[in-house]
Amino acid sequence: MNYGYCNQALRINLSDHTIKKETLDSTFLKDYLGGRGLNARRLYEEVPPEVDPISKENKMFIGVGPLTGTLFPGAARVNFTAKSPQTNILGDSNTGGFLGPEIKFAGFDQIILEGKAEQLSYIFIKDGEAEIRSADHLKQLDTFKTQQKLKEEIGDNRVQIAAIGPAAENGVKFSGIFCNMVRAAARTGMGLVLASKNIKAIVVRGTMDLGAKEPDKFKKMIDDMDEEIKNHSEYETRTRLGTTQLVSSLNELGCLATRHFQTGYFEEADQVSGEYLEENYKQKEKGCFACTIPCSRFFEIKEGKYKGLKSEGPEFEGLAGFSSRVGLSDIENALYGVDLCNRYGLDVITTSECIAFTMELYEKDILSSEEVDGLKPNFGNSEAVFKLIEKIKNREGFGDILADGVVSAAEKIGRDTKKFAMHVKGLEIFQADPRGIKGYGLGVAVATRGGDHLRSEPWFEFSEDAKEGKRRFGYPESAFRLEYKGKGRVVKFYEERCVLADCLEACKNTVVNMEIISFKEAAKLLNTLTEYEFTAEEIQKSAERIMNVERAYIVREGIRREDDTLPDRFLNEPLPEECGESAGSIVEIEPMLNEYYEARNWDMETGVPNIEKLEELGLHEIAEEFKNRDIIKIN
Amino acid sequence: MSTLFDLKIVVEKIKGFCDLPMEVGDYFTVRGGKIEIPEGKHMCLWAMQSLMPVLPAKQREISEENDWIPHTKRFICPDPNGGVVFRIDRINPKTGKPVADKDKIPPRIQVNSEVCTGCRACETVCAFVHNQTFNGEKSRIKVEKNEIEGKDNPFVCRQCGDAPCIKACPVEALSRDPITNAILVNDDKCIGCYKCAEACPFDAITFNENDVALICDLCEGDIECVKRCPTDALKFDNKGGQS
Repeated sequence: MNYGYCNQALRINLSDHTIKKETLDSTFLKDYLGGRGLNARRLYEEVPPEVDPISKENKMFIGVGPLTGTLFPGAARVNFTAKSPQTNILGDSNTGGFLGPEIKFAGFDQIILEGKAEQLSYIFIKDGEAEIRSADHLKQLDTFKTQQKLKEEIGDNRVQIAAIGPAAENGVKFSGIFCNMVRAAARTGMGLVLASKNIKAIVVRGTMDLGAKEPDKFKKMIDDMDEEIKNHSEYETRTRLGTTQLVSSLNELGCLATRHFQTGYFEEADQVSGEYLEENYKQKEKGCFACTIPCSRFFEIKEGKYKGLKSEGPEFEGLAGFSSRVGLSDIENALYGVDLCNRYGLDVITTSECIAFTMELYEKDILSSEEVDGLKPNFGNSEAVFKLIEKIKNREGFGDILADGVVSAAEKIGRDTKKFAMHVKGLEIFQADPRGIKGYGLGVAVATRGGDHLRSEPWFEFSEDAKEGKRRFGYPESAFRLEYKGKGRVVKFYEERCVLADCLEACKNTVVNMEIISFKEAAKLLNTLTEYEFTAEEIQKSAERIMNVERAYIVREGIRREDDTLPDRFLNEPLPEECGESAGSIVEIEPMLNEYYEARNWDMETGVPNIEKLEELGLHEIAEEFKNRDIIKIN
Repeated sequence: MSTLFDLKIVVEKIKGFCDLPMEVGDYFTVRGGKIEIPEGKHMCLWAMQSLMPVLPAKQREISEENDWIPHTKRFICPDPNGGVVFRIDRINPKTGKPVADKDKIPPRIQVNSEVCTGCRACETVCAFVHNQTFNGEKSRIKVEKNEIEGKDNPFVCRQCGDAPCIKACPVEALSRDPITNAILVNDDKCIGCYKCAEACPFDAITFNENDVALICDLCEGDIECVKRCPTDALKFDNKGGQS
């Protein structure tokens, strides 16, 4: 019986079809915890800076954590990690649903894909064994049809599938990996990495046992946690609306990404909100594996133009991406836009940014209709939105310019359009305006995978609890979203909480936003679940180690302090008047960065981890490599 | 009991109004194939036509405990303004005395697929409390999912009174717990012939990797899947069967 960990990785070489099992030793597991941590360490070791992300030398690491597949509520997640073809730095994306647990039940903590298959293939993994099969018949099928067809073909409704859509096959850099129809590891182009290896899908079936070392104690902890979740002040809203609650709540705060961040207030937010979705289209709540706080939903449009459109979803990012960000005020259009992205296999954040970017340039007369294939992409033009999604998927016409992401599009267009590209390190940012939530702004600026909020989620800045701010982070201001003092420390703290969530492969709603478990409780859980002994300090240190390995990886790829920033607009243009309390706000990035580097013990000038920090975390070989590569100068 | 019950159908109360008029206490009886109305009395045609299909069923003994017919005794006239409530009493034809009401339908795990999120927490906890594994394959409740349609259906034993699985078992591996009513599997006796699963009208029986039948044992009364269901898609009660 496996306890928490399977102590085993599966390495598949797609070029020569060798399939090996590798034992994971306790030091590796304890130092890197699981999922994201295991993947980051392997990526650092196995994919050196010279590697072209879409060559066969790139590798993909698929990792699950010790809690994945257990009774822990929402421990359903799985990380896909590789060098990103979209950003050329750390590529890492995570999804919920049911795939992660299935990998555990199939006997693995990690799956490593290397090389490249000769022809389009899929991988079938069952109970410790794997084979590579032809996927010729799945060519260009959308993500839904691919998943359906594989289920029918294998004749087992309980298989779990990760699939790519036509966008990835056509070479779109922001294509993702999709599971359970719509659950997406969509960020940083992990779909394209699979496509570049000629892998259309990974199908997993696991029926092996997975237990807890002390079942009664583990069960008791889970029961208590379920109780705590049910009694949590956020329980009701999270089950009713999930992340979609953010459309109206961010809009009220004046920081909902609207018409490409030209403002933080969308007049028609009421028509596209989570509440509106719930009232008019929601059929029921949906949840990930064994989750007791189901925050997802199944919706259906029952009449009108989109009659019959139904699926799980959308989350906030898709909903706001195809409403406020591109100026669409009809929620059915937004649902249709998200559905197209899901079926084609596109990242909704990047896709909506590319389209919103085009719209702003068009409205500012920087782009002509002719250049955009005769479309008139004004904000709010739904037909233009759908056509652009289609063109991106096919890499045709103007879609070909957008298909490499917004930075590349700005480079191709020229005309000083780079300042309109809403990205950090080549990854497009989310649907909230950092000017109204400065801690999030910092988090997005320093995130190891580029512009992304899920690496820190510093929710504390909404708490408005000055006393707690002073106690926890040394500054009362740290508890207020429009202040910048203390945010360096807040972000460091929540970055490590996010690492914990991504390594245990549990949901950030509970672990980070609701703070259901601390490092101490995580240690208790792992001590009753696994065969290993953990202390809170060790886990926290592992989380910090993982952060530093990821940082070291992107530093080795050339990232420095000047890349830890936000687009000009957020630093220089105050939020306009209609944004209520947030009006007039900009992000004071430099003082926050200083504080953050200080908290991290990274070099103030370069943002490179200091030798002492690397040594303290046991990363001696990285310290050595940095000296050898002249990344750190020795006095 | 092979003979038919006699039936006495009585007006128990009038929720609306009846200008026929029917009055509380009015009744008619059924003996074998005959309907008898007391002399000088009358009976409402429309109420009678709504009662008619159920009378032959109420005349007969039904051994299936979970069946609704033995437990359902009140019917209402079809006129929405009327609300005349008729109660059907069964009479022993030999003694002429009313037959005592059956106990209420025993509680069972009731499934509401409409609110099931498809999370499989029920499977996971079932396998864990019974076999100390999180592996849902060993669960006694299984969720069938259709992700395209958004349908999630948990399948679990309903403890049929007239359990066809017990009858179908050729080696007497199945029995009923006299206290909880659950169907118990004797793992040592089960030969994995799948006869019970074939007989189950509700597709509620699956098998573990050793081909031993997995049937809900109601956790000796403290039902874990019901406790862990986040949306009350699983409930343990008998409300659905009360008249």
